[in-house]
Amino acid sequence: MNPESPLIHAKHVFRAAILLLVALIAMVLGRSLFVPETWGEFGPYRGAAVAEHRDKPIRHGGNDSCGMCHDAEYADHAAGVHATVRCESCHGPVAFHVDLEEGEVVAEMPMRRSRELCELCHRRLDSRPADFPQVDPREHVLSNGGEFTADACFECHDPHSPF
Amino acid sequence: MERHDKDCARPIIPISRREFLNRSSTALAGSMVIALVLPEGSSAGIAGADYDWDRHRWVYLIDTTKCIGCGSCVRACRAENSVPEGMYRTWVERYEIPAEGEAFIDSPNGGEHGFDPVATGLSVRKGFFVPKLCNHCDATPCIQVCPVGASFATRDGVVLVDPEHCIGCGYCVQACPYGSRFINPETHTADKCTLCYHRITTGKKTACVEICPVGARRLGDRKNPDDEVIEILATQRVEVLQPELLTRPQAFYLGLDMEVR
Repeated sequence: MNPESPLIHAKHVFRAAILLLVALIAMVLGRSLFVPETWGEFGPYRGAAVAEHRDKPIRHGGNDSCGMCHDAEYADHAAGVHATVRCESCHGPVAFHVDLEEGEVVAEMPMRRSRELCELCHRRLDSRPADFPQVDPREHVLSNGGEFTADACFECHDPHSPF
Repeated sequence: MERHDKDCARPIIPISRREFLNRSSTALAGSMVIALVLPEGSSAGIAGADYDWDRHRWVYLIDTTKCIGCGSCVRACRAENSVPEGMYRTWVERYEIPAEGEAFIDSPNGGEHGFDPVATGLSVRKGFFVPKLCNHCDATPCIQVCPVGASFATRDGVVLVDPEHCIGCGYCVQACPYGSRFINPETHTADKCTLCYHRITTGKKTACVEICPVGARRLGDRKNPDDEVIEILATQRVEVLQPELLTRPQAFYLGLDMEVR
């Protein structure tokens, strides 16, 4: 090329432009690979994560789900002083017992028929609200003529409707 | 002439343009291969038209004067959300405060198995339980510090972690002034209360609210004009934990004491 030509430096510019283009392509390609598909759908986070949180299985069904089969216990409980206590507070989540999607019984409901269960709420503690019914378990059982055994409470009280 | 960097004794190796381009293209190709084997994110958006998150704004109310410290909420949370043993998305603290001297505060196993009487030797004049959980703050530091955008707030006011995206660095665990986050030992990602997002978006209460036998925990919705919890927030004296931090917690307390942080 004629050294006087104004295009004598075009080659350098062209090379620099190619480098820039390669870098740009690399960035776009890199972003498409690394940035999740739903990123930024609702904000600076992966939008799909919201639906994934929603899709977690529900395990506590509430009293009504228990009442569908156990109507006698349901009515008994609803009429007693333990009406505000949820079935699953003592028994555990219904999903351990029934497959909620299939509606089939999958296992026996774990039953904690022990004094310790009652003591979770009714053992006297300094921190409990004073107007909440609570006892010294040993003193309470012995003074009522009972034997202080592991299931002593159930000698007198029906946990579904204690009085 | 051989030049030397000021801080580094290594000579600067002269490198030809051709060699530079060769080496960089190798490095670029290498990073592409790594990128290809990484898993891609799922493409699903917020599920279905059955829930409109612009029509809800969730808040939480805890009445410490009602809590009996039975730990049902802690057990329910673990069962509902498969929280690993030894980790807690919610927990219950016990406060026994004498007329003079130091208060006794504990939370054995997060209160999961209830509380045994303790021989503190204190003449307790004031005692109560305080259930705690993520405060789902409006101006939360945990989202701010996340370097990868794995912590976020939904439009209905719930602070969530994206376990797919979390790198487990633990910044958010340290940033939370309420101790509400932990690194899940199974997934090695940040974990926290989701306000049972899978339940509240289908019209149910959170597991802890559902299970509480005395109504000490309640879920409210600011965008529901008939909401009882919002009525309480509007008419009664409520407090939040550590208001001086300006995190604007959305978990409100009735009957809080100055001993509680």
